[in-house]
Amino acid sequence: MTPRLTSTAGLPPLLACLGLLALWELAARVFQISGLPPAHEALRQLPALLADREALFNIADSVRRMAIGFGLALLLAVPVGLLMGRSRLIAAFFNPLLMIIYPVPKAALMPIIMLWLGVGDASKTLVIFLGVSLPVIYHSYQGARAVEEKMLWSAAAMGMRPLQRLVRIVLPAALPEVFVGIRTGLVLALITMVTSEMIARQAGVGNILFNSLDMALYDTVYAMIVIIGGLGFILDLLFERLRAWLVAWAEPVHQIAVGTS
Amino acid sequence: MMRRAIPETLLGSLPVVLVLALWQGLTSAGMAPPSLLPPPAAVFSRLAQQLTDPVFLGHAATTLFRLFAGFTIAVAIGVALGVLATGSRTVGALVGPVVRVLAPVPKIALYPAFILILGFEHASKIALVAADAVFPILLATYQGTSAVEPKLVWSALATGTSRRKALFTIVLPAALPSVLTGCRIGLVISCIVVFLAEMISSTNGLGHLLVYASRSFRTVDMFVPLITISILGLALNAGFNALRARLLAGFPEES
Repeated sequence: MTPRLTSTAGLPPLLACLGLLALWELAARVFQISGLPPAHEALRQLPALLADREALFNIADSVRRMAIGFGLALLLAVPVGLLMGRSRLIAAFFNPLLMIIYPVPKAALMPIIMLWLGVGDASKTLVIFLGVSLPVIYHSYQGARAVEEKMLWSAAAMGMRPLQRLVRIVLPAALPEVFVGIRTGLVLALITMVTSEMIARQAGVGNILFNSLDMALYDTVYAMIVIIGGLGFILDLLFERLRAWLVAWAEPVHQIAVGTS
Repeated sequence: MMRRAIPETLLGSLPVVLVLALWQGLTSAGMAPPSLLPPPAAVFSRLAQQLTDPVFLGHAATTLFRLFAGFTIAVAIGVALGVLATGSRTVGALVGPVVRVLAPVPKIALYPAFILILGFEHASKIALVAADAVFPILLATYQGTSAVEPKLVWSALATGTSRRKALFTIVLPAALPSVLTGCRIGLVISCIVVFLAEMISSTNGLGHLLVYASRSFRTVDMFVPLITISILGLALNAGFNALRARLLAGFPEES
């Protein structure tokens, strides 16, 4: 087993956070530019921001949209990916379309989708849905493709129907890989959410960020960045816990989630 | 095999054709007004026209410059840190937790900070591209270099090869497939991020063209930059795959 870059847990990430904050504080003191307030001034804004009813409402609203888009994407993407992995024809049907969609910046669809669906929740949720679907489909596809054929043959011999086999054999066998996709999807959901709000500039976390920037409230800008960063880290951590609990039997996949909309 | 390959390509082109047909159908049946969904012919002829327009090409060149500047920085930092993290315990112990914390953070949230520190011009966009592309490259390099058979390095060192030479003649070539995979992912990410950054705040580049068109409700001109950047992403991806196949000629292919 090769040593993993990511196998450290618990204290070291906390130390890394403190180290990054110290580095930021130091850089702010050395360079002395108004665009980079020291870390402690930004952190002082955190309680005020988190106690502000409107800001909190905006954050909660963003997270709600993210959860809906993410959930809908899972409902569609996991079955599609699994079916692609088990049927050559289905894979051949979807692969070229997915390959074309892959390099499209999903959050960039925001202005066009807003023309059709308005500025409300529907367009933002749809963009998040699009952003999450692709990695989840891809990893479910890879997972289902790698399922041991013999298990499926024995199941068929024992009289399991195709749908039963998909749910009772392919899904559990592919689950570790599916979870890799879901983890990437979760990070992407957050990225797409923030990006689409930055582009649409209507409401939500991304909007607070750029409004504070326009009003030259630099401390708030940085405090908001810390909140979004923390949100990403915590969501990823929680999901990793959930994954470890659900697929404890599988080889640990210490893959750090990376991705972008 | 060949007999099977042709129907599969046909099958694969079916959804693409269906999407185009639906798009054409919606517009010609008058269900979607051209101001909301312009007919495909209008979009593609506008695209062809723009591709010969020096102003449009200038914006595309700006985008490409930012893309490659950011990507190059990401490759340099990612490969260097990845190799160092494998080669030295101290660096590994330092880089590991920092990467663990920063990788799931949405880098786009750092964009306002980059704007404040580096200004509204090229630098902030290049920094964002580099910040987003560096992680897949770093992780792939780390995974590639830590999977190199240690015996290869030991025997080279035993025969008197310097550590630096062992790095360039053994570790990096052996890790090349993984490094290049990371770079390809990083390249597509760069392509997407540069466009988004230009949409959020810019006065030039392809992303700016989309936002600019949307402010004046010129729908056709909103589709053109989006299609251009997607084609660019596809082309870069395909080009990089070709380069990878050429560089890796003779390597046993991993799936």
